[in-house]
Amino acid sequence: MTNTWYLYLFFAAALVGAGLLGLLGKRNLIKLFIAIEVIGKGISLLLLGTGFAKASILTAQALVITYIVIEVSLVATALALIINIYRHTKSLDIRGLAKLKG
Amino acid sequence: MILQTALLIGLVIFSVLAILLKDLLKSAISLALASLLLGIIFFRMNAPYAGVFEISVVAGLITVLFVLTIALTGKGEDVRESRLVNWVFPLVFAAFLVIDALVMKGLLGQVPALASGAESGSFGEVLWKARTFDLVGQIAVILAGVFAVLALFRKRDKHD
Repeated sequence: MTNTWYLYLFFAAALVGAGLLGLLGKRNLIKLFIAIEVIGKGISLLLLGTGFAKASILTAQALVITYIVIEVSLVATALALIINIYRHTKSLDIRGLAKLKG
Repeated sequence: MILQTALLIGLVIFSVLAILLKDLLKSAISLALASLLLGIIFFRMNAPYAGVFEISVVAGLITVLFVLTIALTGKGEDVRESRLVNWVFPLVFAAFLVIDALVMKGLLGQVPALASGAESGSFGEVLWKARTFDLVGQIAVILAGVFAVLALFRKRDKHD
């Protein structure tokens, strides 16, 4: 069972790593948010993979569903914020936010 | 096991594509494909409810929200990404994968096993009885999200 667990945790860590690298390197706000989504995918794979390996898949499933539902409201709020920022600065560049004053 | 590994590799490839592709629409679509693969993986792990939620909500609804936002904001062509990222990202990611493969096995041995008995009952019983507090939290978060979106899109007063 450890091998299965290792497989899932390896790929979950790969997803989280890819998302973190994207967060560090990209400048487009939507791209940054896509990177956050990728990290979220890694976390749900981690939860369910651990639940699968430890024979408690039902609890893991409940947690993943909770996460997905919360993710939807997070996405809606964040995309509304991005649209508002675009209306304000006429750009999706994250560096434009540093120039905002008062 | 081989099919599961192939699905996981596809998931990572589509996620990396979603981050690296220049066209925002294409990256939203590859994020949806990654969600689809993750949903299939969930189905194969005996977690059908999580799979259904992942495919219908994340691959469906969130993709629609992303496409809508991209349509409303333009394709972000004015944002100049640094060219260095396209070279550095694959190199650092490959190095990360190597370290991940080497270190993860050692880390797994150090994680203490949770003391938990065998699960009984159906998924519904576990969700309603064991995780009632999470459900109340979910409702609160959804309400907070609705109010946040309403507040962000409210019409401005004349005095603003």
